[in-house]
Amino acid sequence: MCLTQLFLQNEAAYACVAELGELGLVQFRDLNPDVSAFQRKYVKEVRRCDEMERKLRFLEKEIKKDSIPMLDTYENPEAPQPREMFDLEATFEKLENELREVNQNEEMLKKNFAELTELKHILRKTQQFFEEVEYERRRFGRGRGVSISQDTSDDQQPLLGDYSVAQSRMKLGLNEGERQALDSLAMEDAPSHHDGTKLIAEREGQPKPHLKFVAGVIQRERLPAFERLLWRACRGNVFLRQSEITEPLTDASTGAPVNKAVFIIFFQGDQLKTRVKKICEGFRATLYPCPDTPQERREMSIGVMTRIEDLKTVLGQTQDHRHRVLVAAAKNVRMWMTKVRKIKAIYHVLNFFNLDVTQKCLIAECWCPVTELDRIQLALKRGSEESGSTVPSILNRMDTSEAPPTYNKSNKFTQGFQNIVDSYGIAAYREINPAPYTMITFPFLFAIMFGDLGHGTIMLLAGLFLVLQEKRLEAARIKDEIFQMFFTGRYMIFLMGCFSVYTGFIYNDAFSKSFNLFGSSWGNIFPFPLDEKAREQAITNLGGLEASPMLIPEKAYSGEPYPIGVDPIWVLAEANKLNFLNSMKMKAAILVGIAQMTFGIILGYHNFKYFNSKLDILYTFIPQIIFLSCIFIYLCLQVIMKWIAYDAAGGYSVLGYFYPSSNCAPSLLIGLINMFMMKSRDDGFVDGNKYCNTSIPPGKPGGCNMVGLCHLNNWYPGQHLVETILLVIAIVSVPVMLFAKPYFLYRRYRHKTVHYRDLNDDDVPIVLNGDGGGVSGSYPVRTNILQRTLATC
Amino acid sequence: MGEFFFNIDHGYLEGLIRGFKSGLLTTTDYANLVQCETLEDLKLHVQSTDYGNFLANEPGNITVQVIDERLKEKLVTEFTHLRNNSLEPLSTFLDYITYSYMIDNIILLITGTLHQRPINELISKCHPLGSFEQMEAIHIANTPAELYNAVLVDTPLAPYFVDCINEQDLDEMNVEIIRNTLYKAYIEDFYKFCEKLGGKTAEVMCEILAFEADRRAIIITINSFDTELAKDDRQKLYPTCGKLYPEGLNGLARADDYDQVKQVCEYYAEYKALFEGSGVNPGEKTLEDKFFEYEVKLNVQAYLHQFHFGVFYAFIKLKEQEMRNIIWIAECIAQRHRSKIENYIPIV
Repeated sequence: MCLTQLFLQNEAAYACVAELGELGLVQFRDLNPDVSAFQRKYVKEVRRCDEMERKLRFLEKEIKKDSIPMLDTYENPEAPQPREMFDLEATFEKLENELREVNQNEEMLKKNFAELTELKHILRKTQQFFEEVEYERRRFGRGRGVSISQDTSDDQQPLLGDYSVAQSRMKLGLNEGERQALDSLAMEDAPSHHDGTKLIAEREGQPKPHLKFVAGVIQRERLPAFERLLWRACRGNVFLRQSEITEPLTDASTGAPVNKAVFIIFFQGDQLKTRVKKICEGFRATLYPCPDTPQERREMSIGVMTRIEDLKTVLGQTQDHRHRVLVAAAKNVRMWMTKVRKIKAIYHVLNFFNLDVTQKCLIAECWCPVTELDRIQLALKRGSEESGSTVPSILNRMDTSEAPPTYNKSNKFTQGFQNIVDSYGIAAYREINPAPYTMITFPFLFAIMFGDLGHGTIMLLAGLFLVLQEKRLEAARIKDEIFQMFFTGRYMIFLMGCFSVYTGFIYNDAFSKSFNLFGSSWGNIFPFPLDEKAREQAITNLGGLEASPMLIPEKAYSGEPYPIGVDPIWVLAEANKLNFLNSMKMKAAILVGIAQMTFGIILGYHNFKYFNSKLDILYTFIPQIIFLSCIFIYLCLQVIMKWIAYDAAGGYSVLGYFYPSSNCAPSLLIGLINMFMMKSRDDGFVDGNKYCNTSIPPGKPGGCNMVGLCHLNNWYPGQHLVETILLVIAIVSVPVMLFAKPYFLYRRYRHKTVHYRDLNDDDVPIVLNGDGGGVSGSYPVRTNILQRTLATC
Repeated sequence: MGEFFFNIDHGYLEGLIRGFKSGLLTTTDYANLVQCETLEDLKLHVQSTDYGNFLANEPGNITVQVIDERLKEKLVTEFTHLRNNSLEPLSTFLDYITYSYMIDNIILLITGTLHQRPINELISKCHPLGSFEQMEAIHIANTPAELYNAVLVDTPLAPYFVDCINEQDLDEMNVEIIRNTLYKAYIEDFYKFCEKLGGKTAEVMCEILAFEADRRAIIITINSFDTELAKDDRQKLYPTCGKLYPEGLNGLARADDYDQVKQVCEYYAEYKALFEGSGVNPGEKTLEDKFFEYEVKLNVQAYLHQFHFGVFYAFIKLKEQEMRNIIWIAECIAQRHRSKIENYIPIV
């Protein structure tokens, strides 16, 4: 990496940055960090882009609202020239205005439509109310058999004008509130009379107290509160009937469906009328004129219906127009969005630049990889040519003491691995990039855990599919996050599959079944006598095994191991299959894991050596490697030793101790625990450490007398001493690892500050352009120690 | 003990609210906002803060009113999310927060109706946090009794209103008294509720509410000079859960001018400092601003404790202050009145 300075002609800067942007190889530095966002040079352009983006978002929203598919070609349009911006702006402006106008018209029409629909419902429902009343009145009158004055013809029929109706209503099981309302209404009507017929008879000829009503529509969910408030505010002197409109109406402004209900309120007097109207207004209920007589209502209803029909056609035309506009826009909206974003990004970058003194060119600083300088030069040249500028752009390498950003070159194969490594932390500039090693170790470690031939094959095929279909899948642009994850890791999946097949083969494991390719090395030691008795006899002969048959290593094992991988016989072992496989796999995993850790530490050593950091080598690398070898590498050696030196049969000496049989093979897990506990153990496996015969029962002469639990004993001379020393060294290296480096850095820092104070009393330290300041305040010892603790963990 | 189980019910929301709080504008943000030349600049800068694109979809030139509406909208969205996800007793606590906005809305509507303003115009001015169903029907009432019987009886404010029921016609004086009586009842009830919750919540909230009560008492006293409010009527309006209760309030009840108020407050260390630093001369901060600053300080301190509800109250109050600040700055920019632009209350 190197820091470079770019001198760009004012008019060429845009094109050059556009070219560099397409290349994606440089990282620009903000040269005016102190200037706030709205004081920069190209803020006007950025703002124009914002505005364009807003318009596009508006368009997109409208397109989505009509669920028109947006054409997405996935082509990558070139960043448009600055002068194209005006065209784009004009296009968007025109589209937006057109759309707004259409929307406005549509909204108005829809509002009209909604109002008319509501009116239609009101007329229909009120008609029902009135008809109900009429029916009840007739029935009631007929039932009583009393003459009802004939001259109260249909048209003049006052609503609820007589008490009898109220009475009959009550019988129909009206709720409490309604009953009260009716009661009070009736009381006002006829304070002293209880006989309705009498009342009517009396009333004939005199002007009737007129009940008025208003009808309207209200949102269904507001109805209960509305009713309650109405009741309270008018002291129960109004009567409300309501009925739900079953089909949801659409809200004119938002287009969302709303449920509404029709209500009709009866009341008396003008004061109540204003009050009721106020409440209606407060609850945003819309009132509609509703004529008094059925005749007029019918006429109005017909009028409304025709108007609704007319409106429907107009509305249809408006919607068609809107649809056409949107479909035309939908073809381009995605591409426009990309273009606008590119312009915006370019101006953002241009805002990073400095103007030089002559105001003729812009100065930019950027990091770029040294190997790619040629391509960058070329891009600059292209940019300058495109803009028709006469003076070429100049690229100038600068010297700096700043640490450059890390740039890891990657291709489609390494990208996935690089991502994984980066998620743990990006290596500092010039540190060894661990990603290439990861390409083998990561899938291999995965396979050690996963190891199954069958599953591995499936995985391999899946990975292979992704790899082979890579071009097609890439073109399909599947946005799904999970799929993206798999797709970017396709090479990793492929490799993991390969390695899993290998380890699965070694583990001899495919879907938990095994192959017997070369013939097992274990044979059956049980004869097959036909009768029960003979078999029992045979088993007793074989060493008194009770119920579970067991292959005794000494007898069943042929002496030649299975050529490669795990012997298939182990699948049949019911009791100790897991014990054996777990122990084997765990040991293998420990070996590979520790090898990996050691390798990591050695990589660290190379880093330290490259940066010439003696402190790190002395106080980080050395204690780390000591710690590791004292405990873990020692353990690995033990594992290998156990595998090589202790076999199934036994009866020979290993490292000076007589090893009688496989049940005395040293237990490493318990051994490790004992090492930490520094527990004293017996030496050797058998009494007196001399040859004995395992076939002779213990206690008899020549038989093996095991010392305690023989597999827990020390298994080489001086083991206790060696382990104690290793442990002490390991423990001692921990504080060195943690505190030594911070301490020495702290000492150096204090030494330095004192040193500086003597020399630079009146010297101002020279600060490079854009350089961050040095460490200010006290040296952060604590943070450093913390960091190291975390790293060690 | 409550602290142990706090996170089971309220851990998520507390985490959320602390996140929201850290999104409040910092001093550098304010320093940048103050430098803005136009509202467009302001918009551009606010975009780089936690507010993000809240103004991005506004066509044409933005106005202070639009900013105000969007700010409120954002607060309401956040609050509604908190309220919807809250469990008892936090949900009741959050409801309590909205009551003060409800009181303000009621008073706004009544005063508006008294001045014959159309109801729709008034509704748009109401704070959305304090809106309730019957709100828009308030203008049918002519007397407090009617107001109570018809409208407020169904709202949670009903118990607070009991003291104000009378048959007098609503006039400006009356409305002010109703407002203060409601507030008194509200603050005392909220105080009791927080005490009942106990633990850290009580510790933090009682401190804040006590200050709120005292501030109201002091401001009522100062504003009542040269009005027709009688002294014993005035004393009835003082919330009694503050630190001034009872001696301080008695003193305030007797006070006749500003200096006497100041004298009463001399005995209280917190308030003494506030009175000392304030004045009406240019360059000095008003008492009101001082109170705001102190409130901000208390609210910020609420975040020093863990496992309590005070953070929710504090967030709403801090956010409100921040909104006031932004509106103040925006107004100063819009009216080209830059000399006073620095008079916002910094939240530190």
